Amino acid sequence: MDIDIIDPSFTRLVEPRPPLDCVAQGISFGEGPVWDRREQCLYFVDIIGSRIWKYKPGIGREVVLEPTGHANGMTFDREGRLTVAGWSGRSIWRIERDGSVVTLVTHYQGKKINTPNDIVVHSSGAIYWTDSPNGLLFGGMVPDDAQQYIDEHGVYRLSRDGKDLTRVIDDDVYFNGIAFSPDESLLYVNNSMDVQHIRVFDVHGDGTVGPGRPFYKPKRSEPGGVDGMKVDVEGNLYTTGPGGIHVIDPNGRLLGRLKVPAHCTNMAWGGEDWRSLYIATIHAVYRTRVKIPGVAVW
Amino acid sequence: MPWHFERVAGPFRGATMGLAWDGSGMLFCAVDEERILRFDPETGTIEEFRKYTQRTSGIAWGPDNILFGSQEAGRRIIAFMPDGSARQTAYKLNGCFHNQPVDLIVDRSCRIWFCDPHSARRPPGVFVFPPLPHASVLRLERASHRQWNLQQGTYDTVAPRALLLSADETVLYVADGEVGQSVSRELRAYPIASDGSMGCFSVLHSFGTDYRGEHRGIEGMCLDSGGNIVACAGWQKSGPGPLIYVFAQSGAVLETHALPIDLPNRCAFGDANLTSLYVTSMDGCLYRTTHIRRRGHAANFVSVLPRAI
Repeated sequence: MDIDIIDPSFTRLVEPRPPLDCVAQGISFGEGPVWDRREQCLYFVDIIGSRIWKYKPGIGREVVLEPTGHANGMTFDREGRLTVAGWSGRSIWRIERDGSVVTLVTHYQGKKINTPNDIVVHSSGAIYWTDSPNGLLFGGMVPDDAQQYIDEHGVYRLSRDGKDLTRVIDDDVYFNGIAFSPDESLLYVNNSMDVQHIRVFDVHGDGTVGPGRPFYKPKRSEPGGVDGMKVDVEGNLYTTGPGGIHVIDPNGRLLGRLKVPAHCTNMAWGGEDWRSLYIATIHAVYRTRVKIPGVAVW
Repeated sequence: MPWHFERVAGPFRGATMGLAWDGSGMLFCAVDEERILRFDPETGTIEEFRKYTQRTSGIAWGPDNILFGSQEAGRRIIAFMPDGSARQTAYKLNGCFHNQPVDLIVDRSCRIWFCDPHSARRPPGVFVFPPLPHASVLRLERASHRQWNLQQGTYDTVAPRALLLSADETVLYVADGEVGQSVSRELRAYPIASDGSMGCFSVLHSFGTDYRGEHRGIEGMCLDSGGNIVACAGWQKSGPGPLIYVFAQSGAVLETHALPIDLPNRCAFGDANLTSLYVTSMDGCLYRTTHIRRRGHAANFVSVLPRAI
């Protein structure tokens, strides 16, 4: 894979010509990759195909759930349960260890939520996700009820006990990718609408966040845009963006780009050493290797 | 006698488009605001009927108080349900996504006919599904309570803009052609067979071109009680200017009435006994003319719950 070296320090993070292996293809909208440390396999979704796939290196892939209500972002909670941003299902749900599906959230203040996009779990067990109404609109992934009821686009937090649901951010539109810094003191959230920017928020002890600060805004000279984001153990932020994956240091400085030849939607760290980077694109999932491990998923 | 138009609502952001009389008020689409609004002629007030309409530009009542809308941004015909929800209908023609619908009409068999032109405004989101290689009139038919089938109606249109059914529903009038998109802009009449298939069309009217440019064709139509076609068309840039035309079923021009506004979009009869004509336009307003000595043809369906939902 080609790379763009913007800052010389980028070579400390990636090889001059890192591999790019296609591990899955023939999907109609890849998203939601997350590595399962217990089974050493990758889960990802095909949003339009309404499937959750499991890929095990050296073995292959299989469907683990269908239909999914056009599920989108996924992560694991501290108990190792696959936790899902339901997108067209207009819900947050998880798969229990026995395989049963439990719905966690469908409404906020009595109104049906919009379409949850991406999701992370804090060490406290609280679930954070982005929610915008865009899933009500995109062909092939529209919910049964396509009416928007909540005016605000938002980032929501559900406490570990499931009793406290709060909207922690609602001052922007089309919240999409979401990621914590390694120490969880910062929360990165992006806007995938025309503005296309990433902001960073201080995370308070009670789980709320402070005002957002501009962090990064990509130049839009090539296809692609900000969507999924992940952070490595040194706090470098990896985000999808024009031309591939943009790697940004904790100060918001672009270090370089991984030039993935497809429209990237999201990514996940994986492998035993968390140095594999699985990259979901519209029609395929790729894997590359980096030098600095990513933040492990529960 | 000249028709006098008064502005009764607006301006709103962007164009106003689709119209639907609900029995006591006129619904109209404020497309850029992504809202359907309701004008109450008794009080002169405007209320919001539905928001987040995803650039719905055409509306028509169906049975059971369902308002159907053509969503340009969503690339679908949506059913605005009385309980406030919105259900999509079939959006694939032979496995491919259709284009960006702009106008629709519901016949008494509850089939939905809609114009499906290409649009210069790309739908939002990642561009996964290309447009159809044609721009046709399509027809939705209910397959079951929640399922719809989508059929192709026309095979010879290039930019269908507006639709109208004759009173006996044996003829579909289609305004085909758009400035910059087609060689001609025509009002066509297609015979409809009982199975919904369409025969060869007759051209009832054709819009021309002069040194100032192409004449803007029909953007909206409604039917009067005599079965005549009332249409809004034209612009100030070229041709005879913005007009309301009244065509006989043969295509003979019975009347024209100058509009005081440029770029009219849709027209529909409303008010008591359907004796007023409402017009929307690119200036974002709703206009009305009364005492015009013409009445509208009663629609197949109107709401009996004409309140915001």
